[in-house]
Amino acid sequence: MPLETKSQEKARSDKLRSVQEGRLKLYDAGAKNVKAFLDLISQRITRPLALSFVSCVHCGMCAESCHYALARPDDPTMTPAYKAEQIRRIFKRHMDWTGRIMPCWVHARYPRDVEDLNLLKNIVFGTCSTCGRCTLNCPMGVDTAGLVRFARGLLTELGIVPEGLFNVCRDQWETGNQMAVTELDYLETLEWIREELQAELGLSGIDIPVDKPDCDFMYTINPREIKFDPRSIGHAAKIFHFAKERWTLPKWGWDQTNFGLFSGDDSLGAYVAKNVYEAAAKLKAKRIVISECGHGYRSTRWEGYNWALYDQKLTTESVILTLIRYLKQGRIRIDSSKNPEPVTFHDSCNISRAGDLVEEPRWVLRRVCSDFREMQPNRTENFCCTGGGGLLSMAEYRPLRLEAAKIKAEQLKATGAKLVCTICHNCVDGLTDLIKHYKLNIKVVQVLELVSNALLV
Amino acid sequence: MSNFLRILENEIQVALLIFMGTVYLLRLFWIFRFKPNRERTAPAGSEKAGIAYSLMNVAMPWAMESARKKPGFYIQFVIFHLGVAAAISATFIIPYRPELLQVKPVLRIFQLIIGAAFFVGLMRLYRRVAKPTMRLISTLDDYLSLIFMILYFASGVLAIPNRYQEAEWPLILFFGLTAFFLLYVPFSKISHYLYYPIARFFLGKTLGHRGVLPMKRKKEEIFLEPQEK
Repeated sequence: MPLETKSQEKARSDKLRSVQEGRLKLYDAGAKNVKAFLDLISQRITRPLALSFVSCVHCGMCAESCHYALARPDDPTMTPAYKAEQIRRIFKRHMDWTGRIMPCWVHARYPRDVEDLNLLKNIVFGTCSTCGRCTLNCPMGVDTAGLVRFARGLLTELGIVPEGLFNVCRDQWETGNQMAVTELDYLETLEWIREELQAELGLSGIDIPVDKPDCDFMYTINPREIKFDPRSIGHAAKIFHFAKERWTLPKWGWDQTNFGLFSGDDSLGAYVAKNVYEAAAKLKAKRIVISECGHGYRSTRWEGYNWALYDQKLTTESVILTLIRYLKQGRIRIDSSKNPEPVTFHDSCNISRAGDLVEEPRWVLRRVCSDFREMQPNRTENFCCTGGGGLLSMAEYRPLRLEAAKIKAEQLKATGAKLVCTICHNCVDGLTDLIKHYKLNIKVVQVLELVSNALLV
Repeated sequence: MSNFLRILENEIQVALLIFMGTVYLLRLFWIFRFKPNRERTAPAGSEKAGIAYSLMNVAMPWAMESARKKPGFYIQFVIFHLGVAAAISATFIIPYRPELLQVKPVLRIFQLIIGAAFFVGLMRLYRRVAKPTMRLISTLDDYLSLIFMILYFASGVLAIPNRYQEAEWPLILFFGLTAFFLLYVPFSKISHYLYYPIARFFLGKTLGHRGVLPMKRKKEEIFLEPQEK
């Protein structure tokens, strides 16, 4: 795929604030991009990444852990080690002794020009969803997903990024949320959901509070919930109401998703995460609760504090843990027979392999569904929905993504389930896309929806 | 024993060991100059447990899908590395405790392990050459390190009976290759054993902190403690 820069040129001509302030990086054809790339490697590399660069023994054990490599067994360029090697060879030529003295001995090579960097872009953005399955399957402990994200970050700094990803990053820098939802749209949508809920349940007291101070928790959401799936906020509000929860959404800092994770741009990651942390501090919330979103959870619970250099003070938890608390404390009552269809669970990569929630969603599902069945493999060994790593925003890589989705489709089909549940909005879209493509008779749902269905009111 | 062989088994090995150790120290110094990550989040698991699990991973083939699904490959890995350990041990036993290898069963066990490693080495070389995936990711260093290891195992099988009265060449070949390795290893992929524990330490630390490692597997009613998550 050639480097497309139309959106970047528009951002430059529109004199966007993030461009003027140097936060959103644009491609400059006249710049010494290769030199800048090499300088960035030296500046940004960390100890764990350096170890991942030097530790690979090219054993090839990662090949069968990757859904791309499994879907294309005759294409060796899909092997995770090969993908990582494209950045590793630059590291070796630039920084490693053997690579500097005898480059041909270890395949060390500098990128020759921007074309080489564009090729690297296509590999690290287009052929890897950074699901981390190869990382957990590497006997040496090489974090290939981490290396891919590192390479993405260097390219993003030079504006050598897929257009779709650039657009989302631009929106997140400019508006504080990845879908450019305005404050008016946000508040009006919440008002509409509130009215719908009141009409549905016949309860006038049900509320979706905004900027209410001193609550038990501040709820953060995925902009997709405002723009495309407001029902999920409705489900959450309904459950919180019956649990007699004191909660609030913030007016600013409500987007827990973070394209800094996908673009590799830690500064965007820090900016978005800090918005959330500061909103919670301002509202004096006792904890931050993250709605069902895989990369949002990972970014807000784990990476964001480190990117923002912000020591965690507040408990930051997934809404799944909030639901467990309600169930254990008897604050909500449920009837699993209200969810009679066979349900399977898809573990989001960013939660199971990079976070800590594996048994928790299952604990809830076993209580709210009458027929829960595992897909194989599962938990930390589950396959990606294929929409991870920001790939849903990169239309140019869709054909390959859907080809690789064959692995997930087979996994889903084998369960015989009618519903596939996930705790990630990104996975909802990724799974929906592949279900449509492979013509599977399965519907994607989320835990909040199933709990809301099963609720005894 | 000729003077040449005596010097090769002793002074040359010691000098090259010091060289290798010095290069390794410099390598470690270089690695530790890269900035560390500082964790600012509250833990969901134990870093110590994660590190221990990650380091023990090598002895838990069931813990990784890649090893679990290919038990044959894992067995090859074990044999190959046992062969390496036996060959390295032999380089110390032959000059400093030669009587050990005069015990027939000990000698045979060493020869068996090193011989098996030789065959595994050949299988690995075949795999690296025959599989397109392996060819694409392999460097000259990968091929030559493996070829030298295969030669080393072969020479080891012949040298460890330590019958220098009959013929010195197997010992000269074995200790010559040992000398070569002591020079070559710090600059080759074989130095992975230096990085391995450190790389796994950091992976285990991060994933242990997050509660990903040790793997939670099929323990439905493990206690879920929302307050601290």
